[in-house]
Amino acid sequence: MTRFVVNRVAGMLLVLFLVCLFTYMVFFLLSPDPAVQICGKNCTPERIDQIRENLGLTDPFLTQFWNFLSGLFAGRTYGGGIECAAPCLGYSFQTSQLVTDMIVQRLPVTAVVAIGAAVLWLLMGVIGGLLSAVQEGKFADKFIAGLTLGGMSVPNYVLALALQYVFVVWLQVLPFSQAVPFADDPVQWFLNFILPWSVLAIGYAASYTRLTRANVIDTLNENFVRTAKAKGLRPDLVWRRHALRPALTPIVTIAGMDFAGLLGGALITETVFGINGVGKLAADSITKNDQPVIMGVTLLAAFFVVVGNMVVDLLYSVIDPRVKAGAPA
Amino acid sequence: MMASVLALSACSGGSSGGGSTSGAGGEAPVKGGTVEVLQTSDFSYLDPTRGWDGGVNSFYRLVYRTLVAKAPNDAADPNAMVPDLAESLGQASEDGLTWTYKIKQGVKFDTGAPITSKDVKFGISRSWDPEIGIGSPYMKQLIDAPDDYEGPYKSGDLETIETPDDQTIVFHLKAPFPEFDAALSQPSATPFPEGTGEGDEFINDIVASGPYDLEKFTPGSLVQLKRNAEWDESTDEIRKAYPDAWKFTIGVDGATIDERLIAQQGSDINTMTSAPTLQTATIARVQTPQLQERLIKNPSTCLTYMGMNTTKAPLDDVKVRQAIEFAVNKSSVLNATGGTQFATMASTIIPSTVSGHTGFDLYPSADGSGDVEKAKALLAEAGQADGFELTLDIRATPAMQRQGEAVQESLARVGIDVKLNVIDTSTYYETIGTTSQQNDMAITGWCPDWNSSASTFIPPLFDGRNIYDKGNSNLAQLNDEAVNKAIDAAKAETDVEAANAAWGALDEQIMQLAPIVPLNVENRLYLPGENVGGVITPSGDIDYTIIGLKDPSKS
Repeated sequence: MTRFVVNRVAGMLLVLFLVCLFTYMVFFLLSPDPAVQICGKNCTPERIDQIRENLGLTDPFLTQFWNFLSGLFAGRTYGGGIECAAPCLGYSFQTSQLVTDMIVQRLPVTAVVAIGAAVLWLLMGVIGGLLSAVQEGKFADKFIAGLTLGGMSVPNYVLALALQYVFVVWLQVLPFSQAVPFADDPVQWFLNFILPWSVLAIGYAASYTRLTRANVIDTLNENFVRTAKAKGLRPDLVWRRHALRPALTPIVTIAGMDFAGLLGGALITETVFGINGVGKLAADSITKNDQPVIMGVTLLAAFFVVVGNMVVDLLYSVIDPRVKAGAPA
Repeated sequence: MMASVLALSACSGGSSGGGSTSGAGGEAPVKGGTVEVLQTSDFSYLDPTRGWDGGVNSFYRLVYRTLVAKAPNDAADPNAMVPDLAESLGQASEDGLTWTYKIKQGVKFDTGAPITSKDVKFGISRSWDPEIGIGSPYMKQLIDAPDDYEGPYKSGDLETIETPDDQTIVFHLKAPFPEFDAALSQPSATPFPEGTGEGDEFINDIVASGPYDLEKFTPGSLVQLKRNAEWDESTDEIRKAYPDAWKFTIGVDGATIDERLIAQQGSDINTMTSAPTLQTATIARVQTPQLQERLIKNPSTCLTYMGMNTTKAPLDDVKVRQAIEFAVNKSSVLNATGGTQFATMASTIIPSTVSGHTGFDLYPSADGSGDVEKAKALLAEAGQADGFELTLDIRATPAMQRQGEAVQESLARVGIDVKLNVIDTSTYYETIGTTSQQNDMAITGWCPDWNSSASTFIPPLFDGRNIYDKGNSNLAQLNDEAVNKAIDAAKAETDVEAANAAWGALDEQIMQLAPIVPLNVENRLYLPGENVGGVITPSGDIDYTIIGLKDPSKS
């Protein structure tokens, strides 16, 4: 087990390092000169040179990359005495803020979005899948299959705008989202999240429904279930003890990874509903070409996905004792 | 400051009534209540030495005062410069190098401390700090300072600005600048108490001198203002400061903003937006009489134009450029921009909203659709009757690309084959501003830094001594001795009226050389909530300081 964890952590670090290197290269080689962007209107060549000096853009690529990497672990100081404590993800010269601060400020909101959506889609997906499996081939099954097809094929941005139009503008059962902290107005705060949660959950729930249905039907056809039934076990115990557990194990794996991915920000949903989370930060930074922030968010998302994967692997061995962590396959 | 280079999108400013369709927005507001402003994106900076774009400049007027400021939007001449913290406009010395101002008694910061000449000097000296002075560059450009001066935190006191007593401040300029009053209206001339604002102190908090102070600030989400109890109404002839509070909600999707302003649910009657224009899809929906009554539309101060690189053959021939002036179908370019709601056709460099504008059209045609015959004749005279190829740089936005296609079709009529070179939005201005990378022509825009004259319009675009390898604004690379001389003469004119007459004449003189094709001036459209009054925008920009609620008891 220990060796397994050590191996996984080493692999994780390697992946993150490669992500770092790759994103840094992309921004270093392909992006416009940040000095010119910052210089703006009424710019003179002397001013560009001065800005470039301040940003450390005159250093060679490897030096800049090394500064970035060491900043992640040891922190760094930017020209002008701006202290950036570890883990220093960089400094946004367009907003004069530390990237780490900008992300940390927005992470709780994104976490709320991700947690709420995950709860919703797991409930919807698992219940829908079970219903389908039980009613296999009957009306309910076909009806749910139709719904999931719809849920999977409507893009997020269409669904978001459509739901907003129906529930907020037309039926007026929900208010337009307002920027309120939880402590000031918990009701409005909660109402703000209903639509984003639903939009994300509908998209994900569709695939979870199908997966659950397929897994449960497969499991119900397994020999050990037939044996359990044959020996006269009560149907509810057959379900609970024998069918559900193996059927739901893969769901946990996928849920963990989807959830981890969402923590990196839901760009479209957050933008449409004006949620000031990591996804909106990324979307705004891309339009402004604020490279340090784009890089910071990319790294964070990669970090969550990699860590999420590892957690799922570890959990897997807990849920399903047949899977021994680290044992040869 | 980032935003001001993106001239077309940056001059977001305010709302305004007045003009052609001044509706309910112009009705008189009264004291009290909260006005909510919805915006898609954050203000660039709360720190006025750092921030410098249309949107944030309008905001600064609520929380900061300067020695001189632009007159309120409801004034007889809304472009004029009027005293704000100063008792009167500046007194210039005979040689134009020394400017003296007296500061009003009783003006205070939100801390309760009086605003003295030392605070004005301190605030202005922040412009020299390499990290902080990234906004309006005028202080550094105009005021004399030691070569190695790097702001008050690194280099200490700036000795070239004199403060003989708390009320008097004396500036020494590098060269005469008759519009120094206008320069002092720039955000980077905001006073701050000595010793404050170091490093990132003003990123999340401020020291207010205007009628409002920061109550709450959540980056990317919310800016809330409350009254500044230390602001004394009797010292301020510009700001009415009607509402008790302001709430700027950031990060609202553009379509949602329009939807809320149309639907007017609940407290949305007290809502407006700072976004410069409505979404294209919304325009069709605001044609009902009720909405037309609320809609406020005026041309901005920003010109959209096509620059022609006069260093490249055959555009180095003035006849060829004049032929292109005649050939371009400005009417179809206008349609590509979004039609008459979104923009107004232009024939001059200086927009009608900027002082100094004179109405003329050297290259007239019916409905602005172009004069193909005249264009062909000029091309024949230039020996280019057989046509040629040109490359037009275009920013990768749908509207810009449609504009490029309209130009392409126009010029095809006279045998000029235009290739469109579409450049990513993030690198567009950098590319066309790098002389080695720019092609034959480019469509771009320009907004002046103040509207009281064309001195920030003509020189950056047409002064032949301002051609830079990088960050170049003189896209035509026009370097005409007569124009350069006339620019110097207009800049040296100390009488505002005479200077504006000179800029107007220069506009025509330059257009004869045809370095750019003025295409159109963008309109600014606003749909303030039913209960919001004082939205008057003679030049397209919002003036929050005269906006308020008509009936604060409604919400």
